Amino acid sequence: MDLNTVKYLADLSKLEYTDEKLAKTAGEMTSIMELMDTIKDIDITYDAHLDNHNVYLDGLRRDEIMPSMPTEKVLSNAVNSKNCFVVPKVVE
Amino acid sequence: MDIQTMKISALREAYDKKDISVKEVTECYLDRIEKYDGELDCYITLTKEKALAQAEKAQKRINDGKAEPLTGIPMAIKDNICTVGVKTTCSSNILENFIPPYNATAMDKLDEMDIVMLGKVSMDEFAMGGSTQTSAFKKTKNPYNKACVPGGSSGGSAAAVAADLCAAALGSDTGGSIRQPAAFCGVTGIKPTYGRVSRFGLVAFASSLDQIGPVGKDSLDCGIILNAICGADHHDGTTEKQPVTDFTAKIGGSLKGMKIALPAEFFAEGIDDDVKASVMNAAKEYEKMGAELVNCSMPSLKYAIPCYYILACAEAASNLSRYDGIKYGHRTAEADSYEELIIKSRSEGFGDEVKRRILLGNYCLSSGYYDAYYRKALGLRQLIRKEYNDIFSKCDVILTPSTPSVAYRPDEKVDDPVKMYQADICTVTVNIAGLPAVNTTCGYNADGMPIGMSVIGRKFDEATILQVSSAFENGFDVKKPKL
Repeated sequence: MDLNTVKYLADLSKLEYTDEKLAKTAGEMTSIMELMDTIKDIDITYDAHLDNHNVYLDGLRRDEIMPSMPTEKVLSNAVNSKNCFVVPKVVE
Repeated sequence: MDIQTMKISALREAYDKKDISVKEVTECYLDRIEKYDGELDCYITLTKEKALAQAEKAQKRINDGKAEPLTGIPMAIKDNICTVGVKTTCSSNILENFIPPYNATAMDKLDEMDIVMLGKVSMDEFAMGGSTQTSAFKKTKNPYNKACVPGGSSGGSAAAVAADLCAAALGSDTGGSIRQPAAFCGVTGIKPTYGRVSRFGLVAFASSLDQIGPVGKDSLDCGIILNAICGADHHDGTTEKQPVTDFTAKIGGSLKGMKIALPAEFFAEGIDDDVKASVMNAAKEYEKMGAELVNCSMPSLKYAIPCYYILACAEAASNLSRYDGIKYGHRTAEADSYEELIIKSRSEGFGDEVKRRILLGNYCLSSGYYDAYYRKALGLRQLIRKEYNDIFSKCDVILTPSTPSVAYRPDEKVDDPVKMYQADICTVTVNIAGLPAVNTTCGYNADGMPIGMSVIGRKFDEATILQVSSAFENGFDVKKPKL
């Protein structure tokens, strides 16, 4: 896997690497993909119908309003919470 | 009375007869943790005060004659299972200070029985690994040889049970994360059928594969815990709605006439000779008990590793996109923009293995590669399920090694992701097919390291696999680790 592909994947994944780490990761990803590529040896097609034809909907819970978690608890693990989630300014 | 080696069933009897108090047992385990965990590194968070308070509550319930099977049993909980008010780190810097405002359903069920929680135990970061060496906090050692890994990802759970630093533990299993460390540490662990135990409150890794399960000193203990934590849950739509049976009901029953399948591919090249010999020896023991051994084949096993890693990493890449440094978890100290905040928080918080798996998952899901990797892996999953169904049309259970080798030293493979992934060959197909499987010890190698075997069952037939594993345990001489 070349450096540009790994850089592209890192961007997609919202991750950043130093140049040195990016090169190391590219080497590791190349070895990993060689292992993953063994599935190319088998000719097989996924049958979506087989997985989805007997989905039963009668066991679902009723669509009714239930108590939700208090705001204080929802925010208890957020940094800089002032009764809301605080993020850097998005709109200039 | 040797408290620390007592199984749940023995503790229950002793509690109910008032031969021993919950406080005595809890203090015994806390003393052992203080004495031995400095070297073993099982516990990330020790909840001593909470444990002593729970012991008092449990004792009152016992005294009132209202004890449940797990009342007063000291347990360790894997650190990816949410515990209200107690840090749940997932062994990751990104969740280093995360204190869940709610309990996992499995934890709620244990609390309803008034267990004693001793603490939260280490694991591979986000359950991604087979050595517990990717933990950001505690790289747990194997109690049988501290230079070796305990396996993973539930390495803290298995090592704590093996070293008698708890009576039993909860782990989770996405590709072998209960069975493999149980094998390396010489204890019993069951991965229940997908849908048997609610995943609500289990930090998500790969949602179509994850399952919470018990690690214990034997199969009976695992069955008792599974009885407590299983069942339908409106928070998890994938839980089985049918009423459950007693998973310990068949233990002690005759194996006469039972058909045990031995798939040739699980005993092929790549599996160490001492492991093969030990599992085959166990098979012969089953034959002596009246079971019939049936040779069979599972040709798709050679594609199991890529199938598993493509599916698991694709799901992980999606699940872990929630970590943005905003709602909870690590947040970078300085960021000028929203985008930079997310990128820096994630890059600082996740470890190398987690990042690799996110990259792999996003690669397999990205435009141009989805059909070649992800969709093809879904096709392979169907093939693996079919091959299991074919075997179960002729046999009752399947017997395989749990691992290709015994526990190894970290420098032998931990730094090589490909070697680490290949070591999961004996366990991943069970998760891919959503089946139950139990690991129990079937022997020790020349160096005294435990060897594990797995009994795999039909969907929702945990009772039979526990019957089979327990039958072997009853005549087996367990060698405890020397700490």
